[in-house]
Amino acid sequence: MNVPGLFHFAFLLRGVQTPSWTRWILRKQQLSLPSVPLLQAERKNSLKLLELREAELEEQFVRGDGPGGQATNKTNNCVVLKHIPSGIVVKCHQTRSVEKNRKIAREILQEKVDLFYKGEDSDVFKEKKASEKQKQEKKRRAKENLERKKLFKEMQQLDKE
Amino acid sequence: MRCLTHPLLRKLLSLPLQCVPGQGTLSKGAVVSPKQLFLRHSCSAGRGFVTATDMVNYWQKVFETNGIPEARESSQYIVSFVLGAKTFQSLDSKSLHTPLTALQQEQIQQLSHRRLQRMPVQYVLGEWDFWDLTLKMRPPVFIPRPETEDLVSLVVEEEFQKCENSALCFPVAAPHPVILEIGCGSGAIALSLLCKLPQSRVIAMDKEEAAVDLTRENAHRLQLQERIHIIHQDVSHCSAKQLLLWGPIDVIVSNPPYIFHEDMASLDAEILRYEDLDALDGGDDGMRVIKTILALAPSLLKVSGSVFLEVDPRHPDMVEHWLQVHPDLLLTLRAIHKDFCGKPRFLHIQKQSS
Repeated sequence: MNVPGLFHFAFLLRGVQTPSWTRWILRKQQLSLPSVPLLQAERKNSLKLLELREAELEEQFVRGDGPGGQATNKTNNCVVLKHIPSGIVVKCHQTRSVEKNRKIAREILQEKVDLFYKGEDSDVFKEKKASEKQKQEKKRRAKENLERKKLFKEMQQLDKE
Repeated sequence: MRCLTHPLLRKLLSLPLQCVPGQGTLSKGAVVSPKQLFLRHSCSAGRGFVTATDMVNYWQKVFETNGIPEARESSQYIVSFVLGAKTFQSLDSKSLHTPLTALQQEQIQQLSHRRLQRMPVQYVLGEWDFWDLTLKMRPPVFIPRPETEDLVSLVVEEEFQKCENSALCFPVAAPHPVILEIGCGSGAIALSLLCKLPQSRVIAMDKEEAAVDLTRENAHRLQLQERIHIIHQDVSHCSAKQLLLWGPIDVIVSNPPYIFHEDMASLDAEILRYEDLDALDGGDDGMRVIKTILALAPSLLKVSGSVFLEVDPRHPDMVEHWLQVHPDLLLTLRAIHKDFCGKPRFLHIQKQSS
């Protein structure tokens, strides 16, 4: 039987200290300039999260050991991002764009790292708790409404008899 | 296309020799279409319906059996596309377990058959994403590569730097950069720049009519047609005058064909069979079009204007040397940037003042 062609390419572990990384941070700062409104919307500003330092991150792409660039047409744009100090790893393949996946991976990782170090003090935790409470409230109210309606109908029946 | 008749392969698919009552057994040696095999498989699983996950697993195995690269990714993209999503990971749990309609299964099959012909996924789906944009894709127009997203970032950064450096850095007096793209293909670079630099205008050029048409189509879909001027022209045969309709240019950007001619034959079938080879072949040293662009640049650029190029990792040294032996061009290699795989990929060349 043929060797399963599941992995036609190898993972490339890339260190972070390449110029392309500093540029990424710089780009991120510049993209939040108020004078350029059409760029990617700012993430939820209401959450105060621990900043991630690029030097503490390790990123992996599945791009193969081939020449890359024009010579390759691979569609796997999955990004694997690791926060070295905590060991937390995030895998992102939510979009078909490498740059977007890198951005989303950082957002998810930032939330996880914040949760890791701050626990219940984390804004992420508090927000989740608040939304769960809201959900439960809604359920409770809906249930009450249903019971009230049921009771009303029963009483109507009794009146008819 | 090879069919799944080999007993070992049927075992792989966990197919019993006899399926549910009424289906009958398969006589030995008969050719089984993927559809029949598939229905048997799902029947044997006892569920009687087919989910997205089932489809992905099934087609992944078909692709693997037929030697199609990126078997899992291809089947995931195809199934997600039919379900209206961009990637499999973005589908919620509900979508993953909802039974697929007969129409959806049919659509997946049609698309997968194209993939079985080694057609690149981007052409199979007829679309692909480049950063924030979803663009139409059509053979043989060159499919944008993920590295090229970084090329766009470099140009955007350069424009922001200029804005910061100049005194006129408030919205009212924002500069209106004029950008020239040589070899626009599907329009990925040109249209991304227009989105990220709202004050900019782009002149986009390609020698292939199919590329010009596709760029125009994508521009219209994104409502950017007012800010882009698309020219059907070969850079080797054009005059500077044609390109100066909006005055001297701030930035020239290009992902020119840069593959060394001797490397062309070893490209994947996906590329060789479907993409325009002229968009890839850069001649013996991969520098033919690069040199043409650099030779033309001085007559087009403002002083301190820039050229941003995507190149082969071997080119930075070659370009630096070439610029040194052509000092009359007054171009200097200002920076070499690496791509996300750490390979030297992007050149920033600047026009000096005389």
